[in-house]
Amino acid sequence: MSRIIRPQTTDELLKRLAQESEGLSGNDRRDFLRKGVTAAAGITAAAFAGRSLAEESGGSTSNLPPHEPSWSRQLGHGVVEHPYGSPSAFEKDVVRRTVPWLTAESISSISMTPLAELKGIITPNGLVFERYHAGVPIIDPDQHRLILHGLVERPLIFTMDDLMRYPSVSEIRFLECPANGGMEWKGAQMEALQFTHGMLSCCEWTGVPLRVLLEDAGVKPEGKWILAEGADGAHMSRSIPIEKALDDTLVVYAQNGERLRPEQGYPLRLFNPGWEGNTSIKWLRRIEVGDQPWYHREETSKYTDLLANGKARKFSFVQEANSVITNPCPENPIRHSGFIEIEGLAWSGRGRIKQVDVSFDGGVNWVPAKLKGMVLPKALTRFSLEAKWHGQPWLLQARAIDETGYVQPTLKQLREARGTNSIYHKNSIHTWKVAANGEVTNVQIT
Amino acid sequence: MYRLPEALLAIGLAGVALSAVAEQTRYDIGRTASSEEIAGWDIDVRPDGKGLPPGQGSVMDGERLYEARCASCHGSFGEGVGRWPVLSGGFDTLTYERPTKTVGSYWPYASTLWDYVHRAMPFTAPRSLSVDETYAVSAYVLYLNDIVDDDFVLTQDNLADIEMPNRDGFFEDNRPDSPNTRCMQGCADPDELQMVGTIGGITPVGHFKQGADAPAASHEGQKALEEAKERERLKELGVEVEEQEERADDTLSEAALAGREVYQSACIACHGSGLAGAPKVGDREAWAPRLEKGMETLERHALEGFTGSKGVMPPKGGRVDLPDEQILHAVAFMTEKSQ
Repeated sequence: MSRIIRPQTTDELLKRLAQESEGLSGNDRRDFLRKGVTAAAGITAAAFAGRSLAEESGGSTSNLPPHEPSWSRQLGHGVVEHPYGSPSAFEKDVVRRTVPWLTAESISSISMTPLAELKGIITPNGLVFERYHAGVPIIDPDQHRLILHGLVERPLIFTMDDLMRYPSVSEIRFLECPANGGMEWKGAQMEALQFTHGMLSCCEWTGVPLRVLLEDAGVKPEGKWILAEGADGAHMSRSIPIEKALDDTLVVYAQNGERLRPEQGYPLRLFNPGWEGNTSIKWLRRIEVGDQPWYHREETSKYTDLLANGKARKFSFVQEANSVITNPCPENPIRHSGFIEIEGLAWSGRGRIKQVDVSFDGGVNWVPAKLKGMVLPKALTRFSLEAKWHGQPWLLQARAIDETGYVQPTLKQLREARGTNSIYHKNSIHTWKVAANGEVTNVQIT
Repeated sequence: MYRLPEALLAIGLAGVALSAVAEQTRYDIGRTASSEEIAGWDIDVRPDGKGLPPGQGSVMDGERLYEARCASCHGSFGEGVGRWPVLSGGFDTLTYERPTKTVGSYWPYASTLWDYVHRAMPFTAPRSLSVDETYAVSAYVLYLNDIVDDDFVLTQDNLADIEMPNRDGFFEDNRPDSPNTRCMQGCADPDELQMVGTIGGITPVGHFKQGADAPAASHEGQKALEEAKERERLKELGVEVEEQEERADDTLSEAALAGREVYQSACIACHGSGLAGAPKVGDREAWAPRLEKGMETLERHALEGFTGSKGVMPPKGGRVDLPDEQILHAVAFMTEKSQ
């Protein structure tokens, strides 16, 4: 799908980009953004050009010092004006988005989280990516039931009230669609971080370990798999090995402190930490214990990984270690010469992130980044590297290493192992090209 | 000789008693599910046929049902309409640069087909097919893939015996399969590296690139964008274009307002996209000839179904579970929005 810009090596490219910012003296190169000198052409170049005082504040200086701002000379609204608050009107562009041509319509479709705008590791509930197969059902929690049956000593039926009587656990874990990045197997297609990596979110999930419910029902020795099923029109179903169900699978009713959002399975969902999001069945209504997997549509026709030899990997549950730089990125071009904090997110379905390295030259040389904030297993982990930028061209990459020692592969390695038709589980090292004008674009290096 | 104090023995006994309770049920929360409750929801079917209810359906019966209930999205021959799934063909394409993964070329088990049709199809009216209808539609899709003959009757007893062409095409997860190492210096030869850029114009970037000729970031936005572009194109050709402003909600009748929710849950899949020849809401040109026939006819077609030259309207759009009144409200909503 991708257009070859011009077959060129990264070395050539770095030289060419360097030439574009040549002819500027040292000082000029440091200041060229502020002065509006853009070294390379591009439709967004003007956006990075020098900004006047008025432009900086949206066209007016009357609210700037030494003036008293208008909002400081009047009252604002009182309490409970908005019983459930929402973000500032100035943040209206921080929203989920989709790529409409990906799916026939919006009811069986996917939207992406605006990763470029987020801070820390928690995704606000209203921005968690959506994936529906039959739209969002509107479920009255009083009329919702979970049935647990099959190869158990005692089949059980629970109300929401029942489930919330169990001792609860809360865990911060990422949720990722295995198709995240899947549009980029054959080439770079997406011109924004939201669409290259946005099928990814991280929340604090609260619920009951499935193990506890299974212990109450009493799994018979021949019980080796469970089937989880949703109450939506798709009756989404997945087979899950009993080892996972007895390990860290949760039956979840809350996220980030409040009850699940309808988009995330209200009133009840399954949650399989570190595994492909599709297995975390939303609107959970039934769990059956069986002695073999069911081979339903979502684990045969879909969510299997076709290799170049025509054979397909099945039950590829784990989301392997992955990472991406969120600053800079296409949505966050470099606007200032000088100091920049290179920031990004790393995650692994196998446990904790141990290390993230950053490359400025397309993967030839690497420097270690620092992990900051909480470093939790199977959770988004934020990394940071302080750097100086003076208009030099960068081919920025991040590479995650998890606590099992797994090192995130290059695109070349992944393609050599799997071809380009796998759709799912594309976790290769990602490249952002930073041009001399600070513009950031998505490129692939092999 | 050392003897256990009696108190300890008592604790031990209490422990036994506690574990006996635990064996029964650890928390004693919830209640035993009745076999009737379970039977109503236990719809899953596996490759060995476990879960299949008694019943049968022929390819012949399936053809009629498929045309009425499935073809509007999947095409008369399973070729898929627009971006809806292709169901047939694609044999021996799994190693191609662009494989066609269908029921026939990719799915390993026939049980998956039956289970999925029963669980989730038709898209706009899941769980609306009877058991026999599910056998019939499944038989027909197998027939479209040359897996069974045209006189075949699919039953509870023969489904598990059907051998799908790609039954041996899957293997267990053996990752990690693409090992990398943590190299820090000189990890690649810069002269060997190739760089490929992004294809332009297919990503919704309008929110951060001013003036970009980009798709919208939602299906609704994209529809509006395409309609605006079409009007522009016609204007440039000198065609007189009537500005189609959507009718404001405060001018809608009560019935129409009541029908909005029904429309959004039952009708939008086709009438929002024009699928199956459905007139799109807001498309006055498409609705005008239909409105000319009179509301009574339109309402009858909505309730009872209608096959015209342009497409198929199943009874109640496939949502036979909805009361007539709700369907009529949805008709009011769609027609008022389109006048």
